[in-house]
Amino acid sequence: MGLAAVGAADVEGTVVLQRRLTKRSVTAPASAYQRGATVALGADANDDPLALERSHVVVYLEGQLESKPVTATMEQKNRRFLPDTLVVPVGSAVSFPNLDPIFHNVFSLSKPKAFDLGNYPKDHTRTVTFSKPGIVFVHCRLHPNMGAAIMVSPNQWSARADAAGRFVLPDVPPGSYTIVDWHKAAGFFRQTVQVAESRGATVRFVIPLDEGGLVKAVAQG
Amino acid sequence: MRFATRTFLWSFIPFAVLLMGSFWAIQKLVESTVRDRLRSSLRETHASIARVRSKSELQNSRFLRVLGENAALKAGLQLALAERNSGEARLTVEEQLREICHTLGFDLLLVSDPEGAALAGVIRAGQQLTGLDTTRMRPPQRGLWTLEGRSYQVTSIPIDQADENIGILSLGEHFDFSEFTTPAVLSRHGKVLKSSIPGIPVQEVETALEDCRQQAECEVRLRAETYLSLPLESIYFGDGYLLRSLQSVDSASGPVQAILRNVFLLAGLGALLAASILSVLTSRSIVKPIARVVSHLRESEQTGLLPEFDTKVASTQEIRELSESFNRTAAAIREARRNLYRAYVEFVESLASALDARDGYTAGHSHRVSELSCAIAKAMHIGGEELEEIRIGALLHDIGKIGIADRVLQKPGVFTPEELALIQQHPTIGRRILEGVQLFQACLPIVELHHENWDGSGYPEGLCGEATPLGARIVHVADAYDAMTTDRPYRDGRSPEEAIRVLRQYAGKQFDPAIVSVFVSLAGIVGKFPLPVNTLEHTLEPAAGTIHKLVEAVGGNETPCLPQHLEATST
Repeated sequence: MGLAAVGAADVEGTVVLQRRLTKRSVTAPASAYQRGATVALGADANDDPLALERSHVVVYLEGQLESKPVTATMEQKNRRFLPDTLVVPVGSAVSFPNLDPIFHNVFSLSKPKAFDLGNYPKDHTRTVTFSKPGIVFVHCRLHPNMGAAIMVSPNQWSARADAAGRFVLPDVPPGSYTIVDWHKAAGFFRQTVQVAESRGATVRFVIPLDEGGLVKAVAQG
Repeated sequence: MRFATRTFLWSFIPFAVLLMGSFWAIQKLVESTVRDRLRSSLRETHASIARVRSKSELQNSRFLRVLGENAALKAGLQLALAERNSGEARLTVEEQLREICHTLGFDLLLVSDPEGAALAGVIRAGQQLTGLDTTRMRPPQRGLWTLEGRSYQVTSIPIDQADENIGILSLGEHFDFSEFTTPAVLSRHGKVLKSSIPGIPVQEVETALEDCRQQAECEVRLRAETYLSLPLESIYFGDGYLLRSLQSVDSASGPVQAILRNVFLLAGLGALLAASILSVLTSRSIVKPIARVVSHLRESEQTGLLPEFDTKVASTQEIRELSESFNRTAAAIREARRNLYRAYVEFVESLASALDARDGYTAGHSHRVSELSCAIAKAMHIGGEELEEIRIGALLHDIGKIGIADRVLQKPGVFTPEELALIQQHPTIGRRILEGVQLFQACLPIVELHHENWDGSGYPEGLCGEATPLGARIVHVADAYDAMTTDRPYRDGRSPEEAIRVLRQYAGKQFDPAIVSVFVSLAGIVGKFPLPVNTLEHTLEPAAGTIHKLVEAVGGNETPCLPQHLEATST
């Protein structure tokens, strides 16, 4: 971030999730059947169940700001996309290498970028460049239970929260922004953040749910 | 053959045959009914199995249709078609199939290209699903498919993509023979592949089933047992496979039939017993009256008597008529006999009368002696044939006098010794006269010996005491009495009292003292009855009037001097 604007400061934040939002599904690896081994379902007992949810929260700033495209990778391994949530700035290229011993057929029907990479076997890869911001859901035609989401952010300030729910948007020029928080199941949450010169801002997202288990679309400052 | 036996056989054998025949027919009928019932119950069972099967088949076809629309599978199939030689592509599809199999619990799942060549497949081995080596494998569209030593019932569905057929999905379920609770036989084009009939080898079943037309219900004989074979049409394998259920009708209906057989055997034996008893009773009811008639006839034959039948006892009309006709015949015979005897008696009497008529003085002598002799015999409790002999003998006792010249016989005064010898020949002459006549045989001793004396001084034999027959002794006493009491040309008759005195005097010498004493005891009665007078007119009708009254007085109300068998009741 050497090219950071003068007076830019980090926007730090925390995502607080009060409840699990998605069911975690485990797909047995292709070799599991042959081995006849039982597949362990669910995470370790020590794991914070919400940690996974938090790590699937994507945060970015709205607005046509400066973008710095990157090259990212989304692997297919054990019949899963790895990672299954990816944030890239607009214009980035994402490659989809197949690491499984079977074919995969990665495709997407999402508006920002619809593509079909066709069938390709192990150790082959295809690359897609995402030139429009938005959310792109990625699937495999051969394996309907494979799924991943790629958030193409409109600018370079975007991040995935970590397991603790913390995130940092570094070197944000001073100004007033709308910061957006997105979760696959919970949807979008917006907040306005004021970034003062050389002084960061701290944002706190609480993703509450109503009694029906739905996220209340209320952003708290 | 005895009449009773014949009657028994004629009534028993048709009865028994009829009875056994009807029992046999009933048993057959019941057996066939049981069989039919069993058959229809088997058919119903089959129908219900068929319903269940067709339902599950329908469900399977629905599953298949849903599976056929699986986009991922279609993509996989297309991949497999595109990458025929790629192991990875095959593995990809295998993965997909494995997942489906795992979820839906099929035993075999594979995809083929539109031409039917298998592309990839998985098969359940134990708990695991393993990939199939599909090289040159062509699964059947339908039917039974044997793979790796196991049979699978296969159903297939085409997979279409935009109206274009891109391949075939085949689903297989393990066909477990042992899950059929009924014995079944699996055959293909008449060749038996599997049989779950215990203890009977496959070849034998195949031979037995040869006659069975395909798809038809039929009965099969296997080891002396009848099996009902029904095709399980609901489980249609196609490709010449046919599953038949084989149910032993015998073992199913066996216990019922055993019970039936026992029941009918018992009933049959009981009925036979009843029939034989009835037959015995029938034959007896027919034979018994006849036997009675027969025994009656035999008795008549032996005794010479012709007694009456009691016609009231005879139960049946025919027997009654028979006995009545017998009675009529017997009566006619009795009448004829009586007439004959009467003629005989009349003849004897006329003979006696002829004798008496020679001499006016002896007129009625024979009849009187006969009456007196009868009276004495009655008093001595002599009856029946013996009395009749005495009567006839007494009537004819002097018949021998016919052979003596009137000059001697009617000579008044004392006889010369030559004359006496001539006179003393009359018993012998009498015997000789009567000897030739069968009817007079019994009277001969009386005629011959009525001049024998008690002390042996008589003639012609000079017999002593009881050596002389009783009849002759009686006639001797009566003859002497009558001779004494009748008038003679040369003297008047003595009075009865005097005659009795003389008799007494000579009792033990000339006469049997016992007879004399009997006669003496009768003397009172004898005196009261005027004996036939010695006139010719009277002696010609001796039977009439008072002649029997003396004997009646002595012997009670019994008609004297007639044989009893002639006095039997008349009809």
